[in-house]
Amino acid sequence: MRIPSRKLASGALLALALPVLAGAGDHITPTVVLKKQAEVIKATLPGASSFFLKKVEIGKRDLSRIEQSGGFEPESPDVKFYYGQDGSGSTVGVVLFPQVNTQHGPFEVGLTMGPDGTVRDVTLTKATVETKPWVEKAAGTGFLEDFRGLGAGQAPTTALERLRSADIGKMPTYSGKQVAKAVEHGLTLYGILYAGSGRAAGGSSGGGP
Amino acid sequence: MSGLYSLRDADRSVKLAALLFMLVLGYAYIFAFFMVKQYAGLSPTDVATTYVPQRVEASQLPEASKSTTRALDLSSMEPEHHHVDTQLLIQDSHIHIMIYAIIAALQTLIVLGLGWSAWWRDLVILTAFGSGALDFAGQWLMKAGIGGFAWLTIASGWLMTAVYVVVLLGTLRAVFAKNETRGASA
Repeated sequence: MRIPSRKLASGALLALALPVLAGAGDHITPTVVLKKQAEVIKATLPGASSFFLKKVEIGKRDLSRIEQSGGFEPESPDVKFYYGQDGSGSTVGVVLFPQVNTQHGPFEVGLTMGPDGTVRDVTLTKATVETKPWVEKAAGTGFLEDFRGLGAGQAPTTALERLRSADIGKMPTYSGKQVAKAVEHGLTLYGILYAGSGRAAGGSSGGGP
Repeated sequence: MSGLYSLRDADRSVKLAALLFMLVLGYAYIFAFFMVKQYAGLSPTDVATTYVPQRVEASQLPEASKSTTRALDLSSMEPEHHHVDTQLLIQDSHIHIMIYAIIAALQTLIVLGLGWSAWWRDLVILTAFGSGALDFAGQWLMKAGIGGFAWLTIASGWLMTAVYVVVLLGTLRAVFAKNETRGASA
């Protein structure tokens, strides 16, 4: 049996058109790196001449404390803390990258804690093609500045209030709230796993560097 | 003649379409290779890291947290490993498996015109469809926590490449070889 060339071509065209039609649905868009982690560490730890990575493998006791005080379960059993030291060996700050996964994709921030155990800087590091303009619009309100000075266990009420009053639209406000949630998660992880028991130094899981 | 038609004896437009399809498919496969290398890696360990979920299973955790510290060179800091979560794998699966099936079907249309023996034809067709299905079977088995199935995903990728090379060679042979049948009857 022979198939006419015209029929063959029509079938092939139809077959090629199908995935285009099927792909028109609603999907999580690809992840976009807004700023590289290494750049955030370098930029927000000025004065550091040497850098270290402290990787904490979460234990049962700390997991329970995270769930109780933070109300969330970490995405990974390991949490990475990047800290820098100056020439005299003093720690100038710690950076971690908490991430919140949503139906629109991940929101990740670079959370830099100063030696006093409070937030020094919050930088947007990861979003998606869809959420990038939303988080950038939220960041345009200046709410990232409002996280400065917060310590473990403190709610970012000023930042959330600024978002609510900014009238930037539903999705940018939603994205800003996800950023705030990531910061809160980061503060909990820092307080329990790095600083220990919410204090700036010492604790069960290592008590800093 | 075995098969549905003879690509060698087909109209020039059919030959052109078959050849261009295979060449453009190869063009896409080159970028597919780089994409896989970039996002999932080529070793079983890297592939397993991409798909095996990083669940926090309380029962498997040590009683107390443990930490390790090492010096860090920011200039050579490795980028975070790309991770495919369940949501993304569902999305990838429904598009990729369908496209794999369409590509396998289009390759089958060419295979049916290459004049191959029935067993070889069926083997290539089976591998063309099977490799796409096994690729995602491996990914879902890894998602179920069985990281050892990274080899299945890697092997099916190479099988897909092997099918492509075999069909491309067959296509080039049929398109560019002298047409003995037509020559003999002329």
